Amino acid sequence: MALIRGRDRETSAKIFTASMADIVFLLIVFFVITYKVEVDRTRMELPDSTVRVKIPEEDKPAVISIAPRSEGFLIRVSTGEEMSLPVSTDEEVVTFASTEVARDPNKAFIVKADEEVPYERFDAVLDALKQSKVKYIYLLSDQKTVE
Amino acid sequence: MNIAKKTVESEIFTGSMADISFLLIIFFMITSAFSANRGLDFSLPEDSTTPPEIKQEDSIDVYVQPGSVDAPPVLQVDGEQMPIEGLLPYIAEKLKQNPEKPVILRTDPAAPYGNMIAVFDELRQSEAKIGMKIDTISIPTQREIENIWTMLGIGQ
Repeated sequence: MALIRGRDRETSAKIFTASMADIVFLLIVFFVITYKVEVDRTRMELPDSTVRVKIPEEDKPAVISIAPRSEGFLIRVSTGEEMSLPVSTDEEVVTFASTEVARDPNKAFIVKADEEVPYERFDAVLDALKQSKVKYIYLLSDQKTVE
Repeated sequence: MNIAKKTVESEIFTGSMADISFLLIIFFMITSAFSANRGLDFSLPEDSTTPPEIKQEDSIDVYVQPGSVDAPPVLQVDGEQMPIEGLLPYIAEKLKQNPEKPVILRTDPAAPYGNMIAVFDELRQSEAKIGMKIDTISIPTQREIENIWTMLGIGQ
């Protein structure tokens, strides 16, 4: 039996990468399709709920976020088309909501509030929305899971 | 003179393609977020000159007391302490007498927002849990409550 000596054996050091391009482009196409610009990126712990309706995104609802901070709260508002901006007073929320409602009377508003925010803060925002004659409000929540 | 024959390679250099592609993937992975797009919906009443009058004795008053968001909400229903599990059976009894009975959901200003959502979510599940739909769930703001107290001449 003829044995191949070590120095005579030919080993290929190449890694077959031809399919990598397919995989990578597939991933890129997936991300391009699913890519969505999130107008408000405030990180927070949303409250959980069992009832969760899909928020219609076609009309680009406005977003109001309330997040706790070490020295108080941070309220940010977004028209649904532009990135959110911080506001400092409830009057600014009223002005913002009134402007949006004047532009589109059926404009929906998403309230994105942290579960630990005192109700008082949410109440002020809700009051501002009621004053501005907002018709549709969505309270953003996470899916409630059985513990 | 011997001229060396030049060989022209027809390959396209794709060595950097992997770098560019991975850079794109990393960009999309970091910037794309699977945004939360579900939540509890509620409609506010249409603006009218004569808003519907809800008499206090005709409605079910649910009051969320202050507490921790990690613990079940502490409720006071029509002035009596009640665990959240008892809320829908109590409402079912009331709805049998009057199916149009509205529910007023009030929350203490110091209570966490998550607790109000937990109670609101419980109320929204009435159809699934007790087989009866609550027609009206009203969430009045502190200002509206104060206005009602003032109108009725009652100090809070």
